[in-house]
Amino acid sequence: MGIKKVGLNRNVQPQTITEKIFFLDFMKGLKTTIKHLFRKVITVDFPFELVEPAPRFRGIHGLRNVDGTEKDDFEAWVKKLKIKPPEMGETRCIGCKFCQAACPVPEIFIIKTEKLDVPEDHPHHGLKVLSQFDMDLSKCMFCGLCTLACPTICIIHTDIYDLSSYTRRGWVLNKETLSKIADDFIARRGKEKYDDKSEWPDWQKIWDDADMARAKAWDNNPPKLGPNYADQQ
Amino acid sequence: MSWITLDKINKLKEKFDYVEVVENDKGFHSVEVPKENFKSFLRFLKEDPDYQFKMFIDWTIIDHGAKADPRFQGVLILFSPEYRERIIVKTWATDETLPTLTDMWAGAKWAEREAWDMFGIKFEGHENLVRMFMWETYPHHPLRKDFPIKGYEEVELPSLNEKERADQLEGLQNYSRMHTALPTLEDLEITQKKRMPNKKSQVVLNWGPLHPGTHGTIWFLFDMEGEYVQECDIIIGQLHRGVEKLAENLNVQQIIPYTDRMDYIASINENHSVCVAAEKLLGIHEKIPEKAKYIRTMMAELSRINSHLLWLGTYALDLGALTMFLYTFREREKIMDIFEGITGARFTINYFRVGGVYADLPYGALDAIEHFLKDFPTRLKDYETLLTRNRIWLRRNIDVGIITEQDVYSYGLTGAVARASGVPYDLRMIDKYDAYGEVDFDVPVGEKGDSYDRYLVRIEEIKQSVRIVQQCIEKLRKMSKNDPFFYEPEDKKMKITIDGRGTKLFKGEVYAGADNPRGELGVYIYMPKDGIKPYRFRLRSGAFYNLQIFPKLMIGRPIADAITILSTIDPVVGETDR
Ligand code: SF4
Ligand code: SF4
Repeated sequence: MGIKKVGLNRNVQPQTITEKIFFLDFMKGLKTTIKHLFRKVITVDFPFELVEPAPRFRGIHGLRNVDGTEKDDFEAWVKKLKIKPPEMGETRCIGCKFCQAACPVPEIFIIKTEKLDVPEDHPHHGLKVLSQFDMDLSKCMFCGLCTLACPTICIIHTDIYDLSSYTRRGWVLNKETLSKIADDFIARRGKEKYDDKSEWPDWQKIWDDADMARAKAWDNNPPKLGPNYADQQ
Repeated sequence: MSWITLDKINKLKEKFDYVEVVENDKGFHSVEVPKENFKSFLRFLKEDPDYQFKMFIDWTIIDHGAKADPRFQGVLILFSPEYRERIIVKTWATDETLPTLTDMWAGAKWAEREAWDMFGIKFEGHENLVRMFMWETYPHHPLRKDFPIKGYEEVELPSLNEKERADQLEGLQNYSRMHTALPTLEDLEITQKKRMPNKKSQVVLNWGPLHPGTHGTIWFLFDMEGEYVQECDIIIGQLHRGVEKLAENLNVQQIIPYTDRMDYIASINENHSVCVAAEKLLGIHEKIPEKAKYIRTMMAELSRINSHLLWLGTYALDLGALTMFLYTFREREKIMDIFEGITGARFTINYFRVGGVYADLPYGALDAIEHFLKDFPTRLKDYETLLTRNRIWLRRNIDVGIITEQDVYSYGLTGAVARASGVPYDLRMIDKYDAYGEVDFDVPVGEKGDSYDRYLVRIEEIKQSVRIVQQCIEKLRKMSKNDPFFYEPEDKKMKITIDGRGTKLFKGEVYAGADNPRGELGVYIYMPKDGIKPYRFRLRSGAFYNLQIFPKLMIGRPIADAITILSTIDPVVGETDR
């Protein structure tokens, strides 16, 4: 560790007379530029060609449904919050509002649960269901804190990044839309991102290395992905 | 740790009986001095050969609430380059006034204007105490504790509420028609006039606020004599969002995404400052898991490369070399890809947490970084052949905007700007936070302090960053996938979570930070008692203090140099305005 002195006459020599007379500095610069004439294109032809976002990408949110890959303590959480045990295809959200508590802008969320209106002898008597889950994504800064707080891995980030709308109304998503977004995302890319307990596995890749559009930005020579650590497969 | 020792503080107390020592269990001791003796005490600190606190770091205010009497307290942070120590000196602002420090440190000028703007403290003797961020006719002082976080909603602004076919949003998610005060054209004119009270020429040249050369929304005023600038002033604040005010209502993990939006070019480094400061306040910085330390160091250095590449590209573009911009953006794209894969976002990253990072590296991350580093040095050489000894480049940079060593101390300049003037001030060396104590790198320092030196220093910094990243990769490769990346507190009283819920800060105060591409982003946290929300969260922005020297460098220079000087100072408006 030390100090390195830089400056003209220290690590850079001033121009010599020959360089000045023969414009060698410009020649060298032009050489670099001409070299680039023969390189392949590195830009992506958007929107005809799309780079697939990385698995971890924090795009717009989705609400996952029950699909058999819940965490082990899912049932315990459902019981604790007196939620009607969800069936296959119903939302995983238990209305705990942890996401809202973790969010720096809690006004984004409106989460409400309501008691089921069933007779007293019904097994679901006294239990609740999620009745409203609205998110106003125009206020969101896609920081990811809500998804880390969710105990059931219900609220997730998907890879969708185009959320333009002519009105502010278009940025307010309700629970049906959010569920659909999540279902669609899980069907497309769930296997890349989550293991069978909805956790991030250690084989989750930095990005899909077969993505040819992304390879273009890497001079058509993308890195070969391998394990990070000594004991990783 | 680069803090004044208790010994030396106690000696101060022996010498001056009015000095009160505030001891801190984490080692961040401070002294309190009455207002009458404040200036003479500071003069002693600055000049005495045993102390030599000649470098200005920060000068700000704490509001102790409307009930407290006296209510406001001035907090001055100084650094002694000789002994590599910092000190905090506090004084009570009785009658809401304080003596000005502008005659001792030129850097206090903007700091005092900011304190007037945000807290309404008058500084006796300040040459032109106008507002810093807000416009001149703005009636409030927003950082006072009695100012509501939402502001006072005073004007109607229907355009924000336009909806298709009058479709109403139901419930809370509708937008209020009322908006906090906005400046009118007259307000702006008054502001502009007040900033330049003694203009000489007929026309003041306005540059910005929306001009590609200003790299953001900065508004420059030039009083010209022909081609030459006679007087110059800067109006900033167009991007002021009150991050300090917002931070007072959030827990510390929730503040981190807001800092992403400050220096958005190097958001990782902004996150880093907050993490380091909060960890030091909690006393856990040394105990952060090894893996997290190396990941953070590696990412911070990648981010430095990223930021310097953007600086190089736009700087060359401003001086007329368009190709450079395209070349550097090509390399930047790869770093952004790496960030996207590891953290989940390309720009506003929010990956670091107080206590570590939020997730381990994904499969293939280190390979991707290594792959990038493999051909990066040759690319960097290409850039250098294009620029370093090009005659136009030399002519436009050499001897432009010379900053002396004295200026560095007096204005509190940090980062590459300070180092180019021959001051080896680098927090990575002084504080050795995270893994910087364990990796090998050199700190480049310049000779003259002109724009060309600043260029060379940054280029050398890129090379050193590459070295640091390589060493971090080597270290990380040897670790196990099961090593922790987040600190689990042993202490029952402490609670730190990855998502931030319930994360608590301890009573005390701290000033710490990280060396960012744009200078030192220091974080001063003041907590009168344990709690979740910081009572005072001061962000000492490097870009803000670096920009302050711009008017001085411009005086007597032709207007074309404004581009060179601004580019080599390299401010980012998100950070200057906060
Ligand atoms: S991503 Fe961040 S801002 Fe957006 S909803 Fe989640 S926690 Fe809130
Ligand atoms: S944290 Fe998850 S389960 Fe709880 S309310 Fe939010 S989305 Fe639903």
